[in-house]
Amino acid sequence: MSTRDSAIRNPQSAIGHVTVEVVAWVTRFVGGDGTRRTLFQEHVAADATVRSVLGQVSDRHSALREALWDAAGRELSEHIEVLVNDAVLGLTHTLDSPVRDGDRITLIGQYTGGSCGK
Amino acid sequence: MNRDAPGGYAGHILRVDLTSGKIWSQPWTPEDMRLFVGGAGLGAKILWDEVSADVAWDHPENRLILATGPLAGLPVWGTGGLSVVTRGAMTNGGTSTQANGFFGACLKYSGYDAIVVQGQSGGWVYLYIQDGVAELRDATFLIGKDTWETQDSLQAKLGYSGHQMSVYSIGPAGENLVRFSAIAGDYGHVASKNGCGAVMGKKRLKAVAIVRGTKAIRAADPRGLFQTADEIAHDLKTNPTTKSLYEYGTLNGVLNLNRIGALPMKNFTTNVVPEGTDMAAWEAPSLRKGFDHRGHQCNACGMHHCHMQVIPTGPHRGQIVDEPEYEGWAGAGWAIGCTDPVAISWLNTQVDRACVDVNEFGWLIGWVMECQEKGYLTRNQLGGLEVRWGDAEAAATLLQMISHRQGFGNVLAEGVKRAAETVGGPAMACAIYTGKGASPRGHDHRAMWSEMLDTATSSTGTLQTGPPVYPTEFGMPARINPFDPEAVAKNVGGHLGRRHFEDSLGACIFTTRSLLETMCRALNAVTGWEYTKEEAVRQGRRTAALFRAFDLRCGIGPDLEWPSARYGSIPVDGPAKGRAVQPNWERMLDVWYEVVGYDRKTGRPKPDTLRALGLESLIPSLWGA
Repeated sequence: MSTRDSAIRNPQSAIGHVTVEVVAWVTRFVGGDGTRRTLFQEHVAADATVRSVLGQVSDRHSALREALWDAAGRELSEHIEVLVNDAVLGLTHTLDSPVRDGDRITLIGQYTGGSCGK
Repeated sequence: MNRDAPGGYAGHILRVDLTSGKIWSQPWTPEDMRLFVGGAGLGAKILWDEVSADVAWDHPENRLILATGPLAGLPVWGTGGLSVVTRGAMTNGGTSTQANGFFGACLKYSGYDAIVVQGQSGGWVYLYIQDGVAELRDATFLIGKDTWETQDSLQAKLGYSGHQMSVYSIGPAGENLVRFSAIAGDYGHVASKNGCGAVMGKKRLKAVAIVRGTKAIRAADPRGLFQTADEIAHDLKTNPTTKSLYEYGTLNGVLNLNRIGALPMKNFTTNVVPEGTDMAAWEAPSLRKGFDHRGHQCNACGMHHCHMQVIPTGPHRGQIVDEPEYEGWAGAGWAIGCTDPVAISWLNTQVDRACVDVNEFGWLIGWVMECQEKGYLTRNQLGGLEVRWGDAEAAATLLQMISHRQGFGNVLAEGVKRAAETVGGPAMACAIYTGKGASPRGHDHRAMWSEMLDTATSSTGTLQTGPPVYPTEFGMPARINPFDPEAVAKNVGGHLGRRHFEDSLGACIFTTRSLLETMCRALNAVTGWEYTKEEAVRQGRRTAALFRAFDLRCGIGPDLEWPSARYGSIPVDGPAKGRAVQPNWERMLDVWYEVVGYDRKTGRPKPDTLRALGLESLIPSLWGA
């Protein structure tokens, strides 16, 4: 597991931090080798949302931006599953829900279960 | 070759009557090729046309259809595909189940698009096919052998090895009519659903061996085909989702599904990983590196998906096994409380070799383990066997008892629904099954309501829509709240058809994870047609409607579309804790029926739906004149 701090864009307005946890396969898109976890401690402002936090991380990682967002960069594409505090996006949070100090956003690969024989 | 057939087709169906021993070749029409394509679509049409309501799964006149499609044997990746279609033993209804390897390619190179087996042999036989010549041969020497031993024996006897011959067979389980027995081939590929192995066993057909023939397969636009095949391969290598499939197959499944609460653990009694379990060992690269391994690709496939591996430690050290798919890790592992990758890998191959469905195996053994722990099943009933959570060796002993119908294995051989009904009492509440009798796939669907709804409403003995591929291609949302009943039902109903279309092409579902428009271009380059994605979906929905009509004719209707008490229970812990599907069940059904255009009360596809699918001929049968 590796932990990295985000650059603080505006330290005066930062009200806390949100952990962005990138798991296993998805670490490929943030410079990892597809194993373990990479944690980003994102400093966030009072008006931060799930969208803005994910935007912060993907602004620093172009491969993640390409995998996470649709072509217009406005909505999430179907490739990466997003959890907020271990709940799939849509349950307790939408993309535009505010985040709080201590929240955790997790990025995992899209479900690829099954078998080729079936 | 049938010279009227479009590119990609042999144009002939091999017909085999085991009762009379008669074998003949039957051409099929270009019109039917366009309507039904092949594989699941062709099988559904034959099943509807030829198997009447009074022909149960074990009746000699039941059909066992082994069909491939127009892409088989051509350079698109993973095109050795086989669809098995029959009236299956678990639901006594329609069945569509797929496997890969080389069967589809070898069949086409021998001059056939499909094999239709009817009748029942007096003694055990195997079907031998070489370049348009087909013979029934005595299989006495194969009886009792597992699927790998059967392939070894036939290769040695006939003098072929490697990819020179494809062999699909039943194991001891199929010989003994185990209700969830499967058909397996080419060392590790399994058409596993709805007891298709029992159908083959009832016909006393031990194996089908096809020598890789020499007949050419024409493509209407060879240059276009190669270009599209390259595009599909590029998609598979670079798309963020399929890139993981390209490199590691389904190995990422355990970790991903665990995070959303969909990894089935200990017969749905928990969704929390046992303390001390090293989940880093379950990351795809770690799983693969944990074994000496090498690629075991299917026909024309460049995916790093299927592998063979060597058991590195323990009592079975040195044995060669096939790397489990996600569902192997789940069914032979997590569902029965086993989290040791080495033990699971070994057990999974034993399941393939005895040849039963690994999903049903997991639900059944997990049920036995829970019932013994709670005192609902005694040690005496199990012949003195102690079956504790996670004990792969005890599970393997049960597998042998089931495969040979020894002792209590005779009860378990009927599958978990019927076994629980036999035992009765509180054991009934622990069993995971659907009202129709189909086995759920290897996930905890309490965190994936879409697959629970799909499984319960399907008429194929397994789910029929599956997880969406490029949903935005059809204007569907990229993601939904998995616990929003309306969104779930719209999603499952809205995607109906794509999977059946894929299963009609003769390709693997993992190599068709490209845009549907791209798959149509591949089909068009092969056949010279102008198939659109809308026509592809119509073909898939036509297939679904045929299976639905067949099931209704067999007496399997909407009254059986429900999850068992445990299957539809509320998770007590983990990410989906407290999510209750049952209160939302009827609403989900209402929406699903509306979206697919079937009548909610009777389950019948509505006349307008049938007309839109080009199935007007079914209206009198379903709705009266």
